Amino acid sequence: MNILTCEKVTKVYGSGENRVTALDGIDLTVDKGEFVAIVGASGSGKSTLLHILGSVDKPTSGTVTIDGTDLSRLNQTQAAIFRRRKVGLIYQFYNLIPTLTVRKNILMPLSLDKKKPNKEYLEKIAGSLGISDKFEALPNQLSGGQQQRVAIARSLIYRPALLLADEPTGNLDQKNSREIMDMLKLSNRNLEQTIVLITHDEKVALEADRIITIEDGRIQKDERREVKKLS
Amino acid sequence: MAMWKDYSSGYIKNNRSSGMAVVVAAFISALLLSLLCGEFYNLWKYEIERIEREEGSWQSRITGELSEEAIAYIQNYASVREVTVNEKEADLYFLDRRDVLTDTPRIAEALGIAPEAVSYHYGLLAMYLIRSPQDTAPRLVFPLFIVITGLACISLIIIIHNSFAVSMNARIHQFGIFSSIGATPKQIRACLVQEAAVLCAAPVLAGDLLGIFMGWGLVQLTNVLLGSSVPGRHEAVFGYHPLVFLLTLSLTVVTIWISAWLPAARLSRLTPLEAIRNTGELQLKRRKNSPVLAFFSGVEGELAGNALKAQRKALRTATLSLVVSSLAFTLMQCFFTLSGISTRETYFERYQNVWDIMVTVRDAEVDSFEEAEEIRNLSGVASAVVYQKAMAKTILTEDQISEDMKAFGGFVHASGNDVVQTDSGWMVNAPVIIMDDVSFLAYCERIGATPSVTGAVIRNRIRDVTNPDFRHPEETSYLREQSAGEDATSILRQSGNEAVTAEIPVLAYTEEVPVLREEYATLDYYELVHFIPASLWREIRDQVGGCEGEMYIRILGKADAQPADLAALQDAAVQIVSAKYTAESENRVQEYESNRKMMQGMMAIFGGFCLLLAVIGIGNVFSNTLGFVRQRKREFARYMSVGMTLAEIRKMFCIEALVIAGRPILITVPMAVLAMWYMLKMSYLEVGIFLAEAPYIPIAVFLLAVLGTVALAYYLGWRNVRKINLAEALRDDTMM
Repeated sequence: MNILTCEKVTKVYGSGENRVTALDGIDLTVDKGEFVAIVGASGSGKSTLLHILGSVDKPTSGTVTIDGTDLSRLNQTQAAIFRRRKVGLIYQFYNLIPTLTVRKNILMPLSLDKKKPNKEYLEKIAGSLGISDKFEALPNQLSGGQQQRVAIARSLIYRPALLLADEPTGNLDQKNSREIMDMLKLSNRNLEQTIVLITHDEKVALEADRIITIEDGRIQKDERREVKKLS
Repeated sequence: MAMWKDYSSGYIKNNRSSGMAVVVAAFISALLLSLLCGEFYNLWKYEIERIEREEGSWQSRITGELSEEAIAYIQNYASVREVTVNEKEADLYFLDRRDVLTDTPRIAEALGIAPEAVSYHYGLLAMYLIRSPQDTAPRLVFPLFIVITGLACISLIIIIHNSFAVSMNARIHQFGIFSSIGATPKQIRACLVQEAAVLCAAPVLAGDLLGIFMGWGLVQLTNVLLGSSVPGRHEAVFGYHPLVFLLTLSLTVVTIWISAWLPAARLSRLTPLEAIRNTGELQLKRRKNSPVLAFFSGVEGELAGNALKAQRKALRTATLSLVVSSLAFTLMQCFFTLSGISTRETYFERYQNVWDIMVTVRDAEVDSFEEAEEIRNLSGVASAVVYQKAMAKTILTEDQISEDMKAFGGFVHASGNDVVQTDSGWMVNAPVIIMDDVSFLAYCERIGATPSVTGAVIRNRIRDVTNPDFRHPEETSYLREQSAGEDATSILRQSGNEAVTAEIPVLAYTEEVPVLREEYATLDYYELVHFIPASLWREIRDQVGGCEGEMYIRILGKADAQPADLAALQDAAVQIVSAKYTAESENRVQEYESNRKMMQGMMAIFGGFCLLLAVIGIGNVFSNTLGFVRQRKREFARYMSVGMTLAEIRKMFCIEALVIAGRPILITVPMAVLAMWYMLKMSYLEVGIFLAEAPYIPIAVFLLAVLGTVALAYYLGWRNVRKINLAEALRDDTMM
């Protein structure tokens, strides 16, 4: 079952001599429960694609449908609410809200909808991410690895249709990178969470069961892999 | 200089709005300091003019007869500019005032004049900072100026350095990059201070010039308000000196330089790593909660509360100045209203049907004053009384005192100054009010006493001294009723020589007093007031004595008299009296008007200061909100990335603005209520009377203006924030 469909997605910045085509007719489908890695060199258009998938940016042409919603039809407010409920975004630099505690950061998407959290689910996520004892800390009191775990927990709290991760290990050491990737894989396997991960690191990409290579705004390669199951 | 050329000039050009708070702070500092220096200069100038008018402009004086040779010697003395000789005095004026204290003794010595014959005009010399150890008077004008100016500078530094800090801290990250590529702390500091200098140059000049203009306005206002009302005051002429401008400019520059240097020095000490890591983003060091805001406004309230806590330093200037200005404005309004009610009740209203014109006649005696009838016959006069006061003593025995007075303790509460116990009884003060015979007879008729110019009427009232409420005193009879009678007498004793007495018949003991501009038993509750006619005083004046040098004429105009009629009546009465005597006159309606104008003027001046203080805070809020896109872009991008809508961010903005503008209101209202409760309690004024006239409108306008300008600042900030392109913000490589 398709959770994400991109049809002829094009994104153009500037005009005239300054015209840059960041994405050039991208066609892409992702099934529910897939773990997709998008790789490409710097400036290849992978981050632009991620922003469009996250309803942060709009394509110049083409359509993006996530879980049955056509993103191009959403206005600013609808896009924000869609982001809150359907997409979990994870960034290289965590983007936690520095003035809120870990607990409140994680629950932020629910709080915006004035929804009460499912305590068991919250504890399950926090427990599996190893941050149960950090609930009352502020982000700046945590290490980079811990902050990224909080960001993952926040992205999962609404059980989104799609989890988008932009270089989630780019700012972490090897050990923490390994752990973060294991956690993403765990959520993919155990919660059947669809994940689209952007990276320029081939080792990280190899953890995914599908690798899409982008070059000059076009998909160059799309290969499915058989990945060893986590115990 | 290279950094300035390559970076700062461009930064200032492209970020005009971020420097706005600095510009506002510099302008207001310059304005306040210029106003202060200008007013001090004019105060100093006025004081010199006053001294010269009242005491002369001489610098030193030699008393005694001087020969022509001696005068010629003084005149030819090198440092002497001029010598003027009166009957037995020679006044010396020196070319340079600083020579007065050294050369006058030399001259005296050369002429063989004793040092005791030499005196100096210490008051005048002190105005030029020429002090002698022999002059022990405090002469506080200059010390006061130094203290006030010093306090003003320190207060301004405390208030405005935050504006510089906010503007500079927003760029820590950029300076971290400079530092990482080799800019020294000194270069960074210099760059920041240069930027401050460029930003502040124009506002400082404008503030200083406007301060001079406002100083001129203040002197004119003072002349209008006080010109003719205050006895002995001469019209002030505004003056200014280039040195005052230089002093003002130097003070302003030093104040602003310190304010800019403090945050610049702090910033330049950061290591490149610290600076680059610092994104200028709002952070909390410790976990904070905003339970109230979260309860009322959900997650937006919590985020707004935390953001305000994180901005606490940046908003310190705003918080401080808005709270202080709102509180000061509210208290000032309430205080002036209270004072106005009090003055009106205790003065203008009390005397509304008592007097319209009061003439004070110097060196006159009521028993020989012949113009009373002429004044009474002036057209427009409803009644006129000529009276004079004298102070005597009398002795009261235990038997004479009423039961009511005994009930509150008799003389137990009296101080030794007012009441003295003697062998024959209690010696109390007996003020004697001597009225012209015609008025006294009319008074007797009014109170039902047998009209006669041979006896006295005694005020038989005493207040319950155990009740401190001066506004609503409880009065009772002082003396027993049976003390009054046809053969009753009172023995008045000469004050200071109580053995000398005069026994006078008592026509009546009464509660009713004649219609005069007098209050009785206000300081000494135990005084026994005697009203007597001028004819009787003529007979007893030698025994009683103690007569005041001033005599009063109370004139009440007709009920329909207009202010112009009263002014004409005043002139006519003064003209009659001035033929023989020196007289001063007051006009109640004019006095009321002057008092009202003076109150309004003072309220305008204080209100202006409160407004200036508030403007500093508002400037700080504006600088903060206009810097939102730069400072809080990441914060908002984060909110949006997790699904916060623009409407929710707008709600957060509204909460922030409400808290900033609401805090002064929340602090001001209870504190003002508390302060007014205390003031009302102390002044014994009824709460209802105050509430009926309480200055709700000006206070509401001030507080709403604060709220409105804060809301405008946030609206402008919001307008910029809503244009943030989320994708661009998230692409920003400084996102950490």
